[in-house]
Amino acid sequence: MRQFINVLKFELGSYFKNKSFVVVTILLMIAAFAAVAVPAVMMGKDKNGETQTEAGMPEEDNTAMAILDEQGIFSEGKELADLLPMYEWTVCDSEDELRDLVREESVEAGVVVTGPTSYQYIVENNEMFSNTQTVFEQVLAAKYREAALNEQGIDAAAVEAIYNTPMQSELIIQGKDSQNNFWYTYVLTFVLYMLILFYGQMIAVSVTTEKSNRAIEILVTSVNSNSLIFGKVLAGALAGVLQVVLILGSAFAAYETFKSRIGEMLAFLFDVPVLVWVVFALFGTFGYLLYAFCFGMLGALVSKTEDISKSATPVTLLCVVSLLVAVYGMYFSDSLIMKVLSFVPFTSTNAMLVRAAMGTVDIWEIAVSGVILIAACAVAGVLTAKIFRMGTLMYGNPIKFRNALKMLKQQ
Amino acid sequence: MKLEVKNLTKTFGEKEVLHGISFSIESGKALGLLGRNGAGKTTTIRILMDVFRANSGEILLDGSKFVPSRHRIGYLPEERGLYPKKTVSEQIIYLGMLRGLSQKTAKENMKKWLKRLGVEEYENRKLETLSKGNQQKVQLAQTLVCDPEIVILDEPFSGLDPVNSQILKDVVNEQIAQGKLVIFSSHQMSYVEEFCEDVVIINHGEIVLDGELKEIKRSYGQNRLVLGVIGQTAEELAEMVRREWNTIVRPAGVRKLQDEVILELLPGHTAQEVLHRIAEKEMDVELFGKYEPSLTEIFVDCAGDETQETQEDREA
Repeated sequence: MRQFINVLKFELGSYFKNKSFVVVTILLMIAAFAAVAVPAVMMGKDKNGETQTEAGMPEEDNTAMAILDEQGIFSEGKELADLLPMYEWTVCDSEDELRDLVREESVEAGVVVTGPTSYQYIVENNEMFSNTQTVFEQVLAAKYREAALNEQGIDAAAVEAIYNTPMQSELIIQGKDSQNNFWYTYVLTFVLYMLILFYGQMIAVSVTTEKSNRAIEILVTSVNSNSLIFGKVLAGALAGVLQVVLILGSAFAAYETFKSRIGEMLAFLFDVPVLVWVVFALFGTFGYLLYAFCFGMLGALVSKTEDISKSATPVTLLCVVSLLVAVYGMYFSDSLIMKVLSFVPFTSTNAMLVRAAMGTVDIWEIAVSGVILIAACAVAGVLTAKIFRMGTLMYGNPIKFRNALKMLKQQ
Repeated sequence: MKLEVKNLTKTFGEKEVLHGISFSIESGKALGLLGRNGAGKTTTIRILMDVFRANSGEILLDGSKFVPSRHRIGYLPEERGLYPKKTVSEQIIYLGMLRGLSQKTAKENMKKWLKRLGVEEYENRKLETLSKGNQQKVQLAQTLVCDPEIVILDEPFSGLDPVNSQILKDVVNEQIAQGKLVIFSSHQMSYVEEFCEDVVIINHGEIVLDGELKEIKRSYGQNRLVLGVIGQTAEELAEMVRREWNTIVRPAGVRKLQDEVILELLPGHTAQEVLHRIAEKEMDVELFGKYEPSLTEIFVDCAGDETQETQEDREA
């Protein structure tokens, strides 16, 4: 135990004395805090008296648009200022003029109205998230409906009112609100995914480095290989967990600090139920450890750090599969496949989290799956220690996992 | 403390590399493990250190099964390596603590050994910034930091310059004087001759010679004489002996560099008779006396063909 603690302390010290680890952690903590705090501070300023719209959103500068309305659908464009007040309309006399304005980027886009139901929308570069065309099309369609209804002697305003009558509804959620839970579930699974990949590689490198720098023989003759590998892997795991706690903690600290200003706006990210936290802590920790041992095992099978990425591919793929399972589960959290995968050690990490956050899960299921995961973790730990000890002085080409198992069996 | 290695065998795949190695060594003595490259020295040491498991055989310490983890052992492996990115002090203290020292004692011992080896100014430097020779000294410091009862050094002199070799030699002598049990392998016979009361020569996984060095040398020199004559090469002398003195001696070997021939007395004949023959021929004798073989000569004799390395040793 004493040896294990010595290894753990030494390896943890390696992480904490690593300048890039410290700098990255501090920068990410600041970024996480700022991501919540800066918008909150800005919103606070607005509340204290600066310009706000009725909806509570700050007024934006009007977007410049150009229109050519030779048929007079919008009274040669003049009506548009009333219908679409959020845009600054420039009425053009010719298509060339309109195209020039678009090319010069004096306007965001230009609309050439060619008929009551047709138009050309001219832009220099079509942006991915621009909704201006949709907005214009709705106005043109409304205009057409109004004209068509009036032509047939029907009161267009009455029809519009009928169409737009708001429905009174109340959503009563007896279980979980997947729409609300989606984001924090997504963030938690993604955090875990990044943690496993990033620290897994670091753990594998730390194990291989001792072979590549030939320190391994001194180490295995000084300390029990179980203490050595468990110390190394747990140190990497602890460093990762600590980093995540600090970064998420910063975001939560900012949320708690500015909660009164931002109200319920970020509740979808931060109001995580206790059960989800418990499942995340349990399955996240042991799932992460399971992957960490696998990466440690891979590190023991190679003798050069440049071989790690190739050897680590199967475990990396498993991790990706686990993330995909989580994404699938966010849409089908109570499906049979999710139920099964939430008991399989490599996927239960994410699957159980998704089920707990967005679906229905019984406590006994969490307990059984947790026990399976812990047992898998212990088996992986012991196997890693054995492979590590066996591969101590095996230099050269990476040892295949299957061959390593055969060699262990022979021993 | 008496360490006994009994009948060790070891197989890698289909190939048996050790075929029953046995020797013993007591505290306050040094045992030299000699052999050509691939003879099985390092494998024997690794089995001693429990890096490898033997297929059969046993290792006993004072009659009980030897478990390395239960003893403080200073081990300098053939494959040297530490943490290049860590400071010298950090890693020596760490390795000392892994071998059972408290942090305080490990720190004190680290300082003591760095000073003794003349590298105390590098205490807070990263290992990778040190010269190869100084890195070797740090390796030696980590070996001895735990104040070991047993010191096992695998090729400790390889890569050391003469000054650093002298420092290592002094340190090993101190360890022996302090009653430590020292085992080391080396190709440099001169060092083995200096420290070791006992030697074991391994060839192709078998012990071809072992015992007390003095006794081995004595038995190797028995009935043997050495003769050097001014103006004659060793080959000329050997040829003359073969031609003219073949009733009393036979040439048993030559020392090419010294132009000396080693003579073996035939049964029933004495050195006196050889002396008479020398006088009769009125030879201009440079050297005549009892033959005392060097360890290199014994090694070459036991371990097969003369290799380039042993030739180098001899020249050294």
